[in-house]
Amino acid sequence: MKKYLLLLGFLALPLAGARTGASAQEETSRIRVSVVLVQLNVAVTDNKGNYISGLKPEDFAITEDKIQEKPATFEEGNGPTRRLVDVSSSDKKSFTEVADNVSSTPVSATDGSQRFAGANVFILFDTSNYMYRGFVFAQDAIADFIRSLEGVSKLALYSYSRDLSRVTTLTPDRSQVLRGVRNTVAGDDAALYNGLLLTVKDAAPLTGRKAIVVFSNGPDNASLVPPEDVAELAQSTGTIIYMISTQQAESEPVSTAVFERMSKATGGKAYFSKDWQDEKQAFNSIRDDLAHLYAISYYPAQNANHGWRAINVKLVGKNLQKYHIRTRAGYRVLQTAQTQPAPEEAAAK
Amino acid sequence: MKKLSLRRSTILRRSTIVASAFFLLCSGGFLQAATSGAGAPQSSAVETIVIPGPLRSFMRMAAISQKVSPDDVVPLLARNIFMQGYQQDRQTEFLRLVDRYVQQARELQILAGSANNIHVDNCDDAGTLIQILGYRLREGCGTQKFFLETANPERAFLTIDSGFPLTDLEEALQRGTPFNYAYAPSRVPVLFHESDWITLSNGRKQSYVTLLDELINDPAVARLYWAMTKVDAETRVALQRSPGLRRLLPVAPSLDFYGSQIVIRSGHVVVPGGAWTQVTWRDLAGASPDNPSEFVPRLLAKDNGWLAAYFDVLSRISESQREHLTEKGRLKRFYEDLRGTDLEPPATHGVFRQVPDLLVLFTRLQWDPNGDPHVPGDLDAWKHILHQKTDSKIIRDWSKHNRSLDTPEQLLDAMVAFSRVVTDSGPLQIYLTMCEIDEQRAPGQRLSPATVSLLANQFPQFNNWYLVFSEFPALTDESATHFVNIADAIDKVSNESLRGNTLGAFQANIGLWQVLARQGEIPTADLNSSWQKTIDPFTRITSSTQLFDATRNSLGSLLTAAGAPPNSQPSDIISLLAGPPQNTPDGRRVHQELARRMDAVLEDQHLVSLDTLFSLSDGLDAMAQGKPAPANMLALAGELREFEMPRPIFTASEKIDWSPRVYTAHHAELQVQTDLTKVIKTPGNPAQLEAARGQLAPFLRDTLVGLNYAYYEPPGAQILHNNPLFVRSHDFTEISIVGTEQFWQTPMLLGVGTPAGGGAYLMGSLTDLPHALAMTEEDFIAPENVQALIWKELVPDLLVSATLPRWWNVTPVELHAVALYQRSGEELLTASVKDPQLRTKVAGILADRMTPRRLERIEDAMQHEDDLKAMLPRMMPADTFYLAAEFRSRYPAEAAASGPASQQLDDLVRQHPTDTSWQRLSKDFGVPHPTLARTYGREILNVKPFPFFGGYSSRLFGESWESNNLYWARLADEMGYPPVMLNRLVPELTRRMTAKIFATDLEDWPAMLRAMHETGDDLRHGKIAALPTATATALRESQPVQPDQSAPNGIKQ
Repeated sequence: MKKYLLLLGFLALPLAGARTGASAQEETSRIRVSVVLVQLNVAVTDNKGNYISGLKPEDFAITEDKIQEKPATFEEGNGPTRRLVDVSSSDKKSFTEVADNVSSTPVSATDGSQRFAGANVFILFDTSNYMYRGFVFAQDAIADFIRSLEGVSKLALYSYSRDLSRVTTLTPDRSQVLRGVRNTVAGDDAALYNGLLLTVKDAAPLTGRKAIVVFSNGPDNASLVPPEDVAELAQSTGTIIYMISTQQAESEPVSTAVFERMSKATGGKAYFSKDWQDEKQAFNSIRDDLAHLYAISYYPAQNANHGWRAINVKLVGKNLQKYHIRTRAGYRVLQTAQTQPAPEEAAAK
Repeated sequence: MKKLSLRRSTILRRSTIVASAFFLLCSGGFLQAATSGAGAPQSSAVETIVIPGPLRSFMRMAAISQKVSPDDVVPLLARNIFMQGYQQDRQTEFLRLVDRYVQQARELQILAGSANNIHVDNCDDAGTLIQILGYRLREGCGTQKFFLETANPERAFLTIDSGFPLTDLEEALQRGTPFNYAYAPSRVPVLFHESDWITLSNGRKQSYVTLLDELINDPAVARLYWAMTKVDAETRVALQRSPGLRRLLPVAPSLDFYGSQIVIRSGHVVVPGGAWTQVTWRDLAGASPDNPSEFVPRLLAKDNGWLAAYFDVLSRISESQREHLTEKGRLKRFYEDLRGTDLEPPATHGVFRQVPDLLVLFTRLQWDPNGDPHVPGDLDAWKHILHQKTDSKIIRDWSKHNRSLDTPEQLLDAMVAFSRVVTDSGPLQIYLTMCEIDEQRAPGQRLSPATVSLLANQFPQFNNWYLVFSEFPALTDESATHFVNIADAIDKVSNESLRGNTLGAFQANIGLWQVLARQGEIPTADLNSSWQKTIDPFTRITSSTQLFDATRNSLGSLLTAAGAPPNSQPSDIISLLAGPPQNTPDGRRVHQELARRMDAVLEDQHLVSLDTLFSLSDGLDAMAQGKPAPANMLALAGELREFEMPRPIFTASEKIDWSPRVYTAHHAELQVQTDLTKVIKTPGNPAQLEAARGQLAPFLRDTLVGLNYAYYEPPGAQILHNNPLFVRSHDFTEISIVGTEQFWQTPMLLGVGTPAGGGAYLMGSLTDLPHALAMTEEDFIAPENVQALIWKELVPDLLVSATLPRWWNVTPVELHAVALYQRSGEELLTASVKDPQLRTKVAGILADRMTPRRLERIEDAMQHEDDLKAMLPRMMPADTFYLAAEFRSRYPAEAAASGPASQQLDDLVRQHPTDTSWQRLSKDFGVPHPTLARTYGREILNVKPFPFFGGYSSRLFGESWESNNLYWARLADEMGYPPVMLNRLVPELTRRMTAKIFATDLEDWPAMLRAMHETGDDLRHGKIAALPTATATALRESQPVQPDQSAPNGIKQ
């Protein structure tokens, strides 16, 4: 008997054993279990890139395959998660919620490190031959990044060349992660997308905001999975990918394209600085991004589509149309095999 | 950005920051010979040299596994220097880094002073240290928050790469507390005296005062050093004395490749073949073996190293084979065959040692009762084979000068000569394959001359598929002929898409037949007929509809042969593939789990179920006959459309620009476009409905191919679950590479490292699929050790040894016997410490399986109880297993005397002669040897570990590692797991072992042994949570007590 589990954003809760598919044969041979709580991390910015805070649940309109979705929880930055109850009238959308006394005014990107204590951040460091010349500078940059993330719940440091190395598994101990950075070794081919896939899978079971920050010069000469598969998995598991690179990556258009498109598709960003000593802006941006994300979750409405589901988030009301929204573009219905098992190696370490 | 290395087959990361020196200089080495004695006694007193700084740091920089013993540091350093340190006489980046590190470590050593401790009181005191390390303080001392940052990248890289505790230093400075770091120089043993090596450089422009500098700056000396470490101690001392290192220096490459089997005892070289071959060896080398100082250099130098290569091969084979090969004047004649008329290229040329096929030939050669070498078919058939058109000059020359082929000896002469031809489909490969097929057959059922001719004619095309005939000797000549004819007919299908689908479906069904036959689900008596019924339907394929029907009929025959009930669903094939029906709770649980795992692969590849495909076909067929469409047809057709292409990241033009290969996901894209709903809603004429049925053929092919993939899923697989195009992308017609038509060859892995290419996929046939999948998935295992990489050349063979076998029919008695054999072997070794006679017997048996160097170490250990105790964990399970079995065979009266396990084994063997027989255990716990023995049948071959060769022969090395399954079985027995649990345990333990391997070079057997034991310890200590702990209940339920199974035997009931 085939069993499909829909695990989205990994805030999955079993809701119903709803069967889909019309055939009698299918009814006897398949059970599709819809288990869903989709979580979106939404960044709202103005034209200058300033984050917009103080928005309310009803300011967002979410559709999935053009089907209207109702938010179930709402959270801004590291504020408390608010459960929402739909009290809409036929012509007006509104939710009852906990304290809502903020205004929708732009805030500048300042140090918001204390505001995202719930985030889990995986750093994926390219230690292939392509990084050899800038290796120590990249290490310095990563160390700076780690120090700048005071307040983040947990950090992990992975590195990759041909193979992935789980140098420091998820820990609140910043010093341990810094040691991990200085313990990385350079050499061999680059299999970025293999490494990224495994990292996304490690992040997948985590609840709350989770992000992967990749430090790489770009080239990949050893991956077996294509970036499309990794991007889909990241989107489906609600994992944001940030790519931090240098202008060296821009000499290889395929890397630039993937970095920009993959990060965008997952709700993240790609940064290409002059060199590894010049990544401050990227660090600040990621830090602020994580601090100002709106976390909105919803239980998807009935949807016969078991493939790719497109998500669209819009702001409601004329006054808000000037702002920009960044979040993942959708997700694919996952199967259990794709998200299991959790890496015992990581646990053992 | 300068790309430093694209080398992909190394094991330690640091070693890859080099140019392609590996290809130019790599020899195969014999690390196991050199390193087997981690902690084992040294037979000679040794001088030491100083390595500045901590040994661990130096080993990191020198690309040496940090798990080796200090004894092995200089040999491995020497090996890495000559193999990876130079390119076109210039130092590679790797060696420059080692050199720079040594200088930096010497500076730090001075800073550490006589106390051997780097001490810094506070931030103001840290300037010199930080400067040496290549860092500086950001913000400077006294500021609230300061950090270390790179000031001198060259130095900083050395600091980081050598593992200096930079974070500790940084934190101490931040806290304002003193920093202390023990920085004592390390002393490691050196062969002979340091001065012996340094003086070798006399006469050159520059001389060096330390061995470390000498090795770094002279790869020739480094190679000689490495070569000498592989020779046993007594021989090494004799060689150093005479002819001496200086005279050996020019022949170091030959000594490195082929010298490890040279043994000097009491002033004589022990030649392969024994004393009565001494004269022949004298004639061949031009010096007497009684005069080692002349014989050895001449042997190594003679004929560009070819005589040394011959000597080496003859030394590695079993005593019985050697007897055959050295009698009747063969010794000299075969060398002349091998030598030929052209000594180029030298035997020392290139990266890897030469003539792997000679070693295979001499290892596997079969002899008829009259003492002649076996001739598959007859000599007439071989006359034809040998005179076929060839590109090989050696074969052409041989044919020109040897018109007649009148005796088996002449045929063998030819085979020896052809062993220098680098090919995988020449006459020698045909001969080896035919011999292996014959070997498995009863004397009266050997291959006929006509069949040999047919198989030989088609060998370049179908050779990889002939392994099925050696694995299943029940398949007759007629079946083999039938296969070749059908395969040939499929090749002639002109429509490329139809040909691709036919190739896939045909090969997939054969693959399923192999699985069911191997698992014993097809009765032996039905093997031949079921084979024919499985392949028959593909005799003539002209359309997709016909292909669909043929494939379905073939599968139906297969299900019937495997005992599926008449009313079973097609998808029941998964349950059959998962294994025979089980009647114990454990058995059923494991069986279900294996079925679920296969199901998961099919799900993640979005393959359409067989039930759906056949229902759709039946419905369309009914409609073609004028009946209404069945009610569920539209829903079934909808299932075909559930598969979606991944969301694109690249545009079509970007894919063309950035993905250089020809192949696209054309097959998958066609499936996405397939829509049967229209023809169901508005039925067309019968021809249109038939054509619609034909559209199901590609789906059917993919599902059947997917079943093969799923069955051989390597542990830890990711592609199978995350790239839904993987199965569909299998390129059967090889459109990926223009100009190749090797449709039936082992699959190649393509699409690696091309981000815009849609992911990796296989091109070629489904033969050798387990290995191809293992190659695909191996790099998703994350190494546990810093600096370690997955051992690309070895790991696929390890994984195949875990994924191809199943253990459904293993009895508790067998499992326990495997454990007892190993324990009994250990008891024999232990008992030999106090019994010189036993020691001689034990050493005599072990000599069959190990190099002289390793045997010497074990013999030394057998002199002292403590040494032996230290040696036991370093014995390979296959060694102790063989020791006990062979000892029982040679000395049955003494078999039970060496200890309790031996006594238990003796009792067990008497009570269960079949379950404890070598033949049975070899079949159930052996590994497949598709390269060495040309079969996927499992067997323990008992060969010495093969050295590493290049090309396809690289697999010989992995195939000669036969210890894993024996060890896992012993663990399972000790921990009370029922035998069926091996189906779960073995893949998982093998994956974990793979992650733990921390090896330095391509023949690092001890690293595998270490990883295996570490994995075993994890299991014993309950650190492997994914595996259920064994329970007595489970055992009771799964092991029905047999009347003759008694507790004293140690079987857990």
